[in-house]
Amino acid sequence: MSFDLNFIGILIGAIMASSVPLILAASGELITERSGVLNLGVEGMMIIGAISGFALMVVTDNLFFAVVGSMLSGLIISLIFGLLTQSLLTNHVATGLALTIFGIGMSAMIGKNFVGIPGKEFPLLFVNLKESIPFLGPVFFGHSIILYFAFGLPFLTNYFLKKTKTGLIIRAVGDSPTSASNQGINVTLVRYSCILYGGAMCGLAGAYLSLIYTPQWIENMTGGRGWIALALVVFATWSPIKVLIGALIFGGITILQLHMQAAGLRIPVQLLSALPYIMTIIVLVVISRDSRKIKLNTPTSLGQIFYKEK
Amino acid sequence: MNTKLKVSEISKIYPGCIANDKVSLEFGSGKIYALLGENGAGKSTLVKILSGVVKPDEGEVFLNDESIKLNSPLDAKKNNIGMVFQHFNLFETLSVFENLSIDSNKKDEELRALVNDILKKYNFKIDLDIPVLNLSAGQKQKVEIIRCLIRNPKVLIMDEPTSVLTEQETDDLFISLKQFSKDGILIIYITHKLKEVLSLCDEVAVMRKGKVVSVSNTIDEKIESLANKMVGENLNTIKKKINNFKKSEEILKISNLNFTSDDPYETNLNNLNLSLKKGECLGIAGISGNGQNELFQILSGEIITEGTSIMFRNKEIGKLNPKERREYLMAFSPEDRISQAAVPELKIYENVALNNFKSSNFFEKGLVNEKKIKEHSKKILSNFSVNTDNVELKSQFLSGGNLQKLIIGRELITSPELLVCFNPTWGLDVGAINYIHETLIQINEQGKSSILISTDNDELLKLSDRICVIYKGKLSKIMNADTVSAEKLGILMGGGSID
Repeated sequence: MSFDLNFIGILIGAIMASSVPLILAASGELITERSGVLNLGVEGMMIIGAISGFALMVVTDNLFFAVVGSMLSGLIISLIFGLLTQSLLTNHVATGLALTIFGIGMSAMIGKNFVGIPGKEFPLLFVNLKESIPFLGPVFFGHSIILYFAFGLPFLTNYFLKKTKTGLIIRAVGDSPTSASNQGINVTLVRYSCILYGGAMCGLAGAYLSLIYTPQWIENMTGGRGWIALALVVFATWSPIKVLIGALIFGGITILQLHMQAAGLRIPVQLLSALPYIMTIIVLVVISRDSRKIKLNTPTSLGQIFYKEK
Repeated sequence: MNTKLKVSEISKIYPGCIANDKVSLEFGSGKIYALLGENGAGKSTLVKILSGVVKPDEGEVFLNDESIKLNSPLDAKKNNIGMVFQHFNLFETLSVFENLSIDSNKKDEELRALVNDILKKYNFKIDLDIPVLNLSAGQKQKVEIIRCLIRNPKVLIMDEPTSVLTEQETDDLFISLKQFSKDGILIIYITHKLKEVLSLCDEVAVMRKGKVVSVSNTIDEKIESLANKMVGENLNTIKKKINNFKKSEEILKISNLNFTSDDPYETNLNNLNLSLKKGECLGIAGISGNGQNELFQILSGEIITEGTSIMFRNKEIGKLNPKERREYLMAFSPEDRISQAAVPELKIYENVALNNFKSSNFFEKGLVNEKKIKEHSKKILSNFSVNTDNVELKSQFLSGGNLQKLIIGRELITSPELLVCFNPTWGLDVGAINYIHETLIQINEQGKSSILISTDNDELLKLSDRICVIYKGKLSKIMNADTVSAEKLGILMGGGSID
């Protein structure tokens, strides 16, 4: 194996690509959780996004419709969660778990007819720059537009939460829905919007998997990435930038340990496969150990059902 | 700017309770109005209606002779009605400025200038850029007030504002409220504290069981007359017979007790000495934060000390934990009813079971003996006139007074030899205070002893046989209660010396 500069560049590019679904899903879930809603259905929404994106691509032969459709389907399925938890006041945890189970089953059912169909090539940007510049080329160029969006998203999310009025209102609702309601904020509306946004981002994360990362439909293809995204949000203490760092570490070690396995290192395979999980948690715990900041970032009302006094 | 606010025939009925029954009141600017009543009299419901949080079933609200609809808090804001709730409506993790800007349409710079003007005008000192959770209760209240002032309120409603304040903060608040009133803001002040009504307000409306029972000028009222209107019956003024305990046997002795804490926010206790006789009530006065918490925990066993430093009925108990001390017939009623004495989410009988004695057989072979606990709980509810007989009720639905009765009852039903209580009437209404006081006098009459740690001097002078003052973790000389005056206590509490 040659460790020339260009190879490292390609490796970094691969790491970035593998962390995209995590960044998208976690950024979406982060907004949802910041409003005080704990949606454990990330995995379910992702897999629904993956199958609907792929199915739409096959049916319409149009990648744009496929991507938009996957976001819409994520949004619709999160609307079920919203109706249950916000209007019918069901328990967030139980409803989220049900959503995941539902999503996995539903996607398998829809996906039956789409197994084995080859995917369509997704347009990549700046492919000529990727090949002409050594090292930096494969890192920065030759990616899909969704990757660029994903890497901008944590910064946008951070700005949105900290600097905009809407972001402030979302944080306020997550801190104390009762106070927010007494201030005349429509808590239910804010929480619905955050749930729907989270659903759309999870749908997009799923579509990235089935349209770009491994362009085909395989049952259960999200492979637990939704759960990782959920864990990232918590271990990153609800900070979008730390979610990005966490997703990169996770993606990075996943790819590296695959290479290590291929190189035949004398380390048990099980340990290598567990490495991404262990390292991500360690790093995120270390970078988020400031208890004061944790307190300020944690949505105090997370998972609490809110209903208005009549 | 003249403001007239009128509520007319307001009714609000909750299942099983008429919270407001045809309430009609009139207010005009330039005056401070008190709305007085016991807990559950319907004050808070009326206030929630005026602030748009709750919709009335019947009746109308008029602002300057125009009927206004208050369907949401936004409507109240639009009509320039500002409201400071008893439980703050602040966002703890957001900064002070973010809390203020959340419902303002102004640009950040404009708002900041406006807030700074208000801070200067009323001499408030608050850092706008720190998170609210770092503020004291008094400062949080100021943030709430500023939030109202930003909107140029015509009406400012304060719901039980002093229940979380220190005395100094209360004085500051009263100065500010009088200033607002001078500036033409109509102020409605909700309270159950009679002294505050007399010292702050111009007019007082008394509510009882959802109805307005009297409206009068405060000049024409006295504490007794207001108390009677509030409770609806003539309260017996209870007085304690002063006893001579020279002959009676010593039950508790603390000698040379020291406590040094690792926590910088706790107070160290230095060389405490005290003794208590059978049937005696020892009062411990002091401004809160002078070591009362630590002293209570040392007595209850939450803080373990050397065995020999505390002797109870000639046994060394310093090393025993609270449960073991209870087996020796000590009983404790902590200051914080909701987080220390009871678990609000648990049912009444479950809270009773928490206080588990070996002798009571609440648990058998690791299983809960529900029947026994429920019988025991029913006995407490009826013996201590708690306002319910439903032991399945969650404790959080009891009013402060009833919860305190339940807690004291739970402690006393096993007839302990010593009851240690810490601010037992904190935040309660007159009726409940009276009941608790009677109970405490009663146990002394039955030959049981008590230690009363309290920040309420009137209460201490009324109930104690002997009194001392705790200041910066040190106890003053223990004095006979009949030789002590409120002034004397005040001097000692401030760290001065007498004689």
